[in-house]
Amino acid sequence: MLWRFLLAGVLGGLCYLDRTAACQLMLHRPLVAATLMGAIFGNLAAGAQVGAVLELIFLVHLPVGASMPPDDTGAAIFAGSAAAVASSSIGLDGGSFTALILLSVLFAELGKAADRMVRKLNGRIAHLTRESVDRGDLQAVEHGLLAGLTLFAASGAVLALLFSGAGMAVSKFLLPRFGPESRVDFSALQPVLPLIGAASVFACGRTERTAGIFFLTMAAAFGATVFFRWLV
Amino acid sequence: MGGLSPQVWRRVWRRQFLIQGCWNYEGMQNVGFAYSVLPALREIYSGRPEEALKSVKRHLEFFNTHPVMGAVILGAGLRLEERAASGEADPRGIGAFKVGLMGSLGAIGDSFFWGALRPVASVAGAILALIHPLVGIAALLLLYNVTHLAVRSRGFAAGMEGQEAAVAWLKKEALSVKTEDRKLMAAILGGVYAGVFTGQYAVHGETGLHTVVLFLVGAAAIHFVTMMFRKAVSPSEILSFLLLVGVLILWR
Repeated sequence: MLWRFLLAGVLGGLCYLDRTAACQLMLHRPLVAATLMGAIFGNLAAGAQVGAVLELIFLVHLPVGASMPPDDTGAAIFAGSAAAVASSSIGLDGGSFTALILLSVLFAELGKAADRMVRKLNGRIAHLTRESVDRGDLQAVEHGLLAGLTLFAASGAVLALLFSGAGMAVSKFLLPRFGPESRVDFSALQPVLPLIGAASVFACGRTERTAGIFFLTMAAAFGATVFFRWLV
Repeated sequence: MGGLSPQVWRRVWRRQFLIQGCWNYEGMQNVGFAYSVLPALREIYSGRPEEALKSVKRHLEFFNTHPVMGAVILGAGLRLEERAASGEADPRGIGAFKVGLMGSLGAIGDSFFWGALRPVASVAGAILALIHPLVGIAALLLLYNVTHLAVRSRGFAAGMEGQEAAVAWLKKEALSVKTEDRKLMAAILGGVYAGVFTGQYAVHGETGLHTVVLFLVGAAAIHFVTMMFRKAVSPSEILSFLLLVGVLILWR
């Protein structure tokens, strides 16, 4: 089990690096992070299931300027690891799935607070870098950047460890406390989640031109789905 | 490529990926920008340490733009540095040039990459993940990064040819037109996603009226949540509210 957490820390740290500090190759997106965590904790498909829903739900928040979006990577790390663990114990039924998606919001907000703290500490690093450059030390720029990167990576790795650990704890100890009937009750909220994701996509690029097309395509896809279900 | 040696050119190109490596509230991408241009400044001002120092200080001033669009400014800024080093341009103009460009390119980049390209990649990834998770992830990464890396690469090269080439490249790329196209694509894919998920709740043997009502409820729910997003309600707030509802269901 220890190697799983070590791997979660390392890969989670890499995802967090990609989020702000390095590359922005979208390795930090919930679909990728949750699937990775699912694979580490034994069920890739379960991780992807929660990752796909979180991917769209948090899309609407754009990281523009100094605004700080919720930490969807952290939410995905929690939900992905929890979904994989749940699938091998109580099973990832509708209630557990919904509960994990909804609980992930706590980790999205915790991660956001940690991100804010890292950026504040980076302000101190930037200040020290400027002071060193004023004294004629050009290499301080490289050291400053390395310090900033290390801070982002270290905080990412710690968050990934904590969030995947929390995911495991929730699936092992919290979810089994609720019986199958309670989980069926909870699953009543499940249909709302993909709709929030769809609304998030729609809100991202909503213009007069796209509004009609969105609902027309929705109607066509709805009709096709109903038709195929009827055929099968 | 300007007067930079190919090794330094490549080093600067690689370093642009770390432009947000020390993102902070005061200078934002300032340390990252200075870090990216440092190898070039060392070459441009070789044997002139005082001028190199002044130049690095210039690049440690406040800087913030979209990380991908930063490549154009990086290239054009370095071209200006080369001209300043040879006495063809006023070094004080470099800061003004960067400040002048970072806002507008930031807005273009935010709108194109975050508001249009990322939703297309994300929703395509989410739909294709239904086939296999790895197919979904591959689609997301490919759809985003093909354009992302091309813009970084071409933008930096255009910037290195000078300000006019950079402006000509921006015109040719027509990112605002591409933004509209990608938004349309995102709307189509988003509609497919919403339609398929709503359709799954249609029960076999229902009347046509029930099916129509199901569709209308789904569409109305999406419209309502979109309105909430427009009123700056965050996804976290909506999920928190649902969590509360869930707790009440369990409590009952």
